[in-house]
Amino acid sequence: MTASASARPARPQVRVRTFGITLALVAFTVFAARKVGFSPSTFWEVWTNPLWEKFWPIPWGWVFDGDNVIQPLIETLQIAVLSTIIGCSLALPISFAMSPLTTPNRPTYLVSRAVMNVVRAVPDLFWAKLLVTALGIGAFAGAWALSVFSTAVMVKLFSETIDNANPGPLEAARAAGGRHAPVVRTGVLPDVFPAYVSYALYVLELNVRASVVLGLVGAGGIGRVLEAQRQFFKFDRILGILVLIFVVVWVVDHLSVALRKRLV
Amino acid sequence: MVPPAFGRVYERGAVGKIFESVYIAWIGTLIGAILSLPLAFLAANNVSPRWIRTPVRQFFNAIRAVPELILAVIFIPITGLGPWAGALAIGIHSIGTLGKWATESIEGIDSGPIEAVKATGGQWVNRMRWAVIPQVMSTITSYWLFRFEINVRASAVLGMIGAGGVGSELVSHLVFRDFPAASAVLILTVVVVMTIDTVSANVRRRIIVGSVGDRDSSRWSEAWTDLTGLRRKTSPAP
Repeated sequence: MTASASARPARPQVRVRTFGITLALVAFTVFAARKVGFSPSTFWEVWTNPLWEKFWPIPWGWVFDGDNVIQPLIETLQIAVLSTIIGCSLALPISFAMSPLTTPNRPTYLVSRAVMNVVRAVPDLFWAKLLVTALGIGAFAGAWALSVFSTAVMVKLFSETIDNANPGPLEAARAAGGRHAPVVRTGVLPDVFPAYVSYALYVLELNVRASVVLGLVGAGGIGRVLEAQRQFFKFDRILGILVLIFVVVWVVDHLSVALRKRLV
Repeated sequence: MVPPAFGRVYERGAVGKIFESVYIAWIGTLIGAILSLPLAFLAANNVSPRWIRTPVRQFFNAIRAVPELILAVIFIPITGLGPWAGALAIGIHSIGTLGKWATESIEGIDSGPIEAVKATGGQWVNRMRWAVIPQVMSTITSYWLFRFEINVRASAVLGMIGAGGVGSELVSHLVFRDFPAASAVLILTVVVVMTIDTVSANVRRRIIVGSVGDRDSSRWSEAWTDLTGLRRKTSPAP
């Protein structure tokens, strides 16, 4: 009798702590939803709002008319490419300083790590706004902001790759009596360089997306046009610009993914 | 910029604004998580037929190509200025990445349990419930948390165009050239972002790895190292 009773496993008990955490999360969610102004009815009203009709039809004549959209869009891509090049070049030495495997000395390691953590915690558009205030409105400030931000992202990704690099060649080069820079260049760089190029392409994707919105805070590119049309309530033009942005981002993403697949 | 004017900023309610950013990120992440989870099952190539999964995947890709700020630009005229526009923009944008990550983790599961449920006569829904969800849910939850970290930064930015949160504070101080106040807002934001990153990274590590190993000390010292680059002296293991 007892054998058949024990054949059925005991039902797992919900622990008091699990219950407490769940309750706290639910309470926080309800509180946050109230603060944000969310409720099922507001969620539904968004999709039935009559304003959506203002987004249609798209004025393609205006969108493709010379300087309106195409010129700023090219400026956007220029910002993205330039800041990727600057950011990734700066990131290369900093990443080597930030990995315990290749750092020249301990103070460099600690300082670069702490500084880069803070730089990364500031969102990209905050950098843009700060630099717009410092350098004036325009693409110059935008390119600077994105360079700083892509350095921070690249350093994070790449230094972790260096951490996991094979230390064998490095030790061999050190044992042969090499100085620090040549040792790193010949011992580690060949091992991690494919990853570096692949991350650089990924950062380019991020930068294309980020440069699109830079103009909303006055840092040049297509966002400037978006901001202007938004203030005049030209929603149909906004949708037209969005379609163009979408196509550009999509093309860059697919090119970059295809290239990265061949690299790794 | 120096010294930061914390007192003045506090009186204007900047701390409340930063928490508003956190609420926006939380609600946005939840909207994204709830909407993306069922779609992820429809997009995974081991549990869904081709004619459903191709359009769902294209939908994920399309959403990921539109930045949050652009979505907020669309939603602000519909919902009015305020945090709700930001939460909606973040939620819709999160569907793309969360859906993609969840799809990839569903595709990586062991197919044995699915066959076992099938052999006992389970329908598609039963297979998902008893064979797939137990295998993927911990990974997917940690993805949600990771996305929450990203969304905190995104929602801070959204305030700059009027979608609620701390961004509006920074912009208004910078416009009036009030640099001490702006730097105080910036420092507060960085502190909150880094705190949330650290806590969330620890919870994620715990979800994936579990609470094995020696209690808290190792995890917290690792987080401390992540945050500052400084290595604490750890007592030798007994």
